[in-house]
Amino acid sequence: MELSEIQQYLPFLIPVIVIELALMIAALVDLLKREETRGPKWAWLLVIVLVNFIGPIVYFVIGRKDE
Amino acid sequence: MNFFSVLRKELTEQWRTKRFLIVAAVLAAFGLTSPLLAKFTPELLKSIPDMPAGLAEMIPAPTVADAVGQYVKNMSQFGILLAVLMSMGAVAQEKERGTAAMMLAHPVSRLDFLMAKFAALAVAFAVSLAVAALGCWYYTLLLFEPLAWGPFLALNGLMLLVFLVYIAVTLLCSTLARTQGAAAGLAFAGLVLVAGVGSLPRVGEYFPGRLFEWGMVLALGGGDPAWPAFWVSLGMIAAALAAAWLVFRRQEV
Repeated sequence: MELSEIQQYLPFLIPVIVIELALMIAALVDLLKREETRGPKWAWLLVIVLVNFIGPIVYFVIGRKDE
Repeated sequence: MNFFSVLRKELTEQWRTKRFLIVAAVLAAFGLTSPLLAKFTPELLKSIPDMPAGLAEMIPAPTVADAVGQYVKNMSQFGILLAVLMSMGAVAQEKERGTAAMMLAHPVSRLDFLMAKFAALAVAFAVSLAVAALGCWYYTLLLFEPLAWGPFLALNGLMLLVFLVYIAVTLLCSTLARTQGAAAGLAFAGLVLVAGVGSLPRVGEYFPGRLFEWGMVLALGGGDPAWPAFWVSLGMIAAALAAAWLVFRRQEV
């Protein structure tokens, strides 16, 4: 398979990217609304934005402090 | 308050804390990427510049079996991990925060409380797995060939059953433990134990993990049923829930 052929399949990735963005946005909204997190807020911001997919999930699982 | 009002509260809670979103997003993403990975891994390997000429030709062309295999592998790993992560706090966290006592101050039985927790988690995993299955089925259709939907549905039903085993066992750990952290430790120890014993020959025939193999062969049009593992899985769910109830009934919250 040539590179051009691989490129024709790129649209297949769009739904995956949409899911990833939805997770990231949900995590960011949660982070901004939250008064306190486990560890500094700016660190979580970096984790959520820079670590694809895993970042927002790690934030949701361990980053949040109970209200 | 009866079972259904506790269930409604649990489902709202799941939505609000984004736990539902996490399960749905992770499973859906793997549903979509599994057939994609199966299709492109051989191509990517071949495109490595230094690949010896003979070796590139030995890489077989991907088939629909690779797509289903990849799907089952990803679901088995991440589905079980999520089942433990999402269930470990179910009871322990409420005890830690003191909300369990608040909840039980209402006329709600402890059995309803536990069953609603289990049912809410089951709903979250069933819906998420349905989304993942739809994605996987559609991408397999586009990239390979259509999968017969009946057997594919059966595969997903079997996977859901395995997830329910882990949810029920983790719920038991969450009831036994005082804190969420202890529940997590207990649940992961249990997970390692079940996975370890399940990988032994002969004994493995009776363990939930065997259902993944059965489902995979089934989805590809084969037979090889594993009814013993099926019944053992149902039994494990019932036993774990019953044990959780017996412990929780006498527990100080």
